[in-house]
Amino acid sequence: MVETKVLGTRWARVDALEKATGKAVFAGDLSMEGMTYAKLLFSDRPHARIVGVDTQDAEALPGVVAVLVAEDVPVNEYGLMENDEPVLCGDKVRSIGDKVALVIADTEKTAEGARDLISVEYKDLPVVSDPREAMTETAPRVHEERESNILVEYHVRKGDVEKALAESDVLVESLYFTPAAEHAYLQPEAGLGYIDRGGGIVVHTAGQWAHDDRRQIAHALDMPEDRIRVIYTPAGGAFGGREDISVQILLALAAWKTGRPVKMVWTREESVRGHHKRHPFYIRCRTGANRVGKLTAVETQLIADAGAYCSSSPAVLANAVLLCTGPYDIPNVKTDGYAVYTNNISSGAMRAFGAPQGLFAAELQMSKLAEKLRMDPLEFRARNVLVEGSTIATQTVVPAGVGVKRTLLELAEISEWQRGAETKLEPPTDLPSHKRWGVGVACGWKNVGYPFGFPEQCTAIAELYGDDEVGRVVIKCGAAEVGQGVITALAQIAAETLGVDPEMIEIMNDDTAVVPNAGSSSASRHVFMSGNAVHLACQEAKSLWDAGKRPAIVTKQYVPPPTSLYDEKTGKGVPNFSYGYGSQAVELEVDLETGEIALKKVYASHDVGKAINPQMIEGQIEGGVVMGQGWVLIEDFIQQEGYLKTKTLADYLVPTVKDAPDEIVSIVVEVEDPLGPFGARGVGEMPLMQLAPAIVDAIHDATGIWFDELPITAEKMLLALKEAAASR
Amino acid sequence: MKRKLEMDVNGKRIVLEVEASAMLVDVLRDQLGLTGTKVGCREGECGACTVLVDGMAVNSCLVPALKVRGRRVETIEGLASEGQLHPLQEAFVERGAVQCGYCTPGMIMAAKALLDKNPHPNREETKSGLSGNLCRCTGYSKIIEAVEQVAGFGEVE
Repeated sequence: MVETKVLGTRWARVDALEKATGKAVFAGDLSMEGMTYAKLLFSDRPHARIVGVDTQDAEALPGVVAVLVAEDVPVNEYGLMENDEPVLCGDKVRSIGDKVALVIADTEKTAEGARDLISVEYKDLPVVSDPREAMTETAPRVHEERESNILVEYHVRKGDVEKALAESDVLVESLYFTPAAEHAYLQPEAGLGYIDRGGGIVVHTAGQWAHDDRRQIAHALDMPEDRIRVIYTPAGGAFGGREDISVQILLALAAWKTGRPVKMVWTREESVRGHHKRHPFYIRCRTGANRVGKLTAVETQLIADAGAYCSSSPAVLANAVLLCTGPYDIPNVKTDGYAVYTNNISSGAMRAFGAPQGLFAAELQMSKLAEKLRMDPLEFRARNVLVEGSTIATQTVVPAGVGVKRTLLELAEISEWQRGAETKLEPPTDLPSHKRWGVGVACGWKNVGYPFGFPEQCTAIAELYGDDEVGRVVIKCGAAEVGQGVITALAQIAAETLGVDPEMIEIMNDDTAVVPNAGSSSASRHVFMSGNAVHLACQEAKSLWDAGKRPAIVTKQYVPPPTSLYDEKTGKGVPNFSYGYGSQAVELEVDLETGEIALKKVYASHDVGKAINPQMIEGQIEGGVVMGQGWVLIEDFIQQEGYLKTKTLADYLVPTVKDAPDEIVSIVVEVEDPLGPFGARGVGEMPLMQLAPAIVDAIHDATGIWFDELPITAEKMLLALKEAAASR
Repeated sequence: MKRKLEMDVNGKRIVLEVEASAMLVDVLRDQLGLTGTKVGCREGECGACTVLVDGMAVNSCLVPALKVRGRRVETIEGLASEGQLHPLQEAFVERGAVQCGYCTPGMIMAAKALLDKNPHPNREETKSGLSGNLCRCTGYSKIIEAVEQVAGFGEVE
């Protein structure tokens, strides 16, 4: 191990002070001389042909600068993975998240008033809102030019599943459903666009990958990328919800068309309507095990609701298809996954990206099998987890540094796990008679970094200035700070590598004109990817400095080992170069009279490789757990026939401080990732990937009821309790 | 129609003309440039716009600006005095209670209102005092720790 001074310490975040004093400038706080305001007109139909858009009255309103429609967009398409989404819809709308017109006016109020004067004539089309129905040949086509609504499918085959299932001693078959979720970051989308003195277009906003925003703006405006500059403000939360374009192209377009600075701030309603959601999944599973508690085979079919546009659906589906075996060594695997277009708001990236859905099925199958085998669910998992050298469903060996067993064993030790015995996890003595108490457990795994053949890379620049001693260090790396703390972690890694005071380090990360492309703030990848690039750049800069070079400036690109997409027929391939592992145990109380489920305590054991900053890791664990709790017990995103029912934070409830568990015990496990900087791997998403099945396992422990669908609101719990009582 | 508004903001007497229908949050942000107070929902659900009016925590997105005539308004910008951070600001930084930071100003103002009234709240009182403020990043643990540190319960690391 390397001697560490700042690495591994609870060093305070470099951006905490400005945020705690109100000095941090978010995108909505920006203003400029001569600024105008933009307001969007969203589609009010989930599926319709646009017969006409009449903007005359809006344009005539005093103070209106311009009204932009589809014809005003040079290349009217964009998308993270596929350009299947219009910037402004011209011929048809495919969801109520679609944008039809943009009004630019002297004041926000005028823009809003003019927006309401636009009249759109629609001809409604039949709506398809269930992906299972959308897969059928007779379903209305969301994108008419496509042969079917199936956007993408993957198939994985390993061994002989039919034979192995037939020979299994126990078999569990279930159909699961996991719902959509709204990111509900506190800061709604906002930005400011203008033309700079050189005639280039500048967009200030908050996102997850400035260089990709720039690529998409350039494409839609049909301009070279070097005419576009994207400058990020700190993001007021992201969680995957700022991976897709929101205001970026519209602001660039508006500034370019009008020549004026244009600001746009979405309301909460616009935010909920205007950005993608977590993919709902229907997952059918058959899983077998033998008498001694070894898994024999698993067959899984996954159907994901992609919503109206592609967004990152192929990648989310690919993840779910891989991760739905759970972090287990299973000799026979058959998986079929489909992502299907519907007229719902697009589905896309959300924290843990397919893992929570796949693991919900995998882990509940584990708990149910353990019950059938009369085995402790933690012990059953420990017998089957991946170890060094295990072969996963893609018939390739899992990358070295497999920490899942350690997370499980440390979880068992620290929680003194033993279901139903005298342990820390024991029912409170003062539990009233109308409450039931239970404990549950689940494991998880998830990729770190972009998988499946994506050209993954990160570039960083290290600059050392001074005379004798290094007096100033500048690190340039376009890693978006979305609240996860990446700039703090990178400063710690740079300080450690250079052997300098971390206070000396300036991180520049937010301007495409200044910093190199670091890839996205997603896939829990920056500590690993940007950490590696910064580490390499600093190492080389230090060598140059020691050899007398002044200033010492080094640009380094880190490229991880290559990966590949599933083989079309067998699913063979190398999906990932690194994984994060975790195991969680929960303790909860079910109120038999009200149906309320109170999550009391969560033990969260996570392999982070090397803890760069334990305080920030705890922050990711605590935040991930409470976000996961929301998805399971509180949040309920409702769309009916393509229409949105939960439009605001008054309809879509997220956990408050009163809902959060009484205690979250973070167990930080360090199984070195041989490829990670100082052995580190990612942890941002992992704390919520396995919480749902752990909670459901505990509810079953408390009440004897299995839930195969989320969310489990108090109403649903109460209904299930009544049904259980009636059938007794 | 514009009306005259006179109030005390962070210890300074302010006189200005505001739209009769203007909300306090917009006057603070747009007319006084105090953008530390954030907007998250405009319906009193998220608490990001929390400021103190005569020491009481309010959602400034729901308070008509003219309602605070002659009253004392405190925002996050007024908390540190002469370069000295307020103990809550210090504790939030030290304890890792800040992630994305968008809820932070409102959360700190809500915590200040709580501690000004009840310097040693128990855990339930702390939770009640912060229950109008959403945070989507931290899971609230470190926020509670920070507030309890200032209340004299938590150990300083």
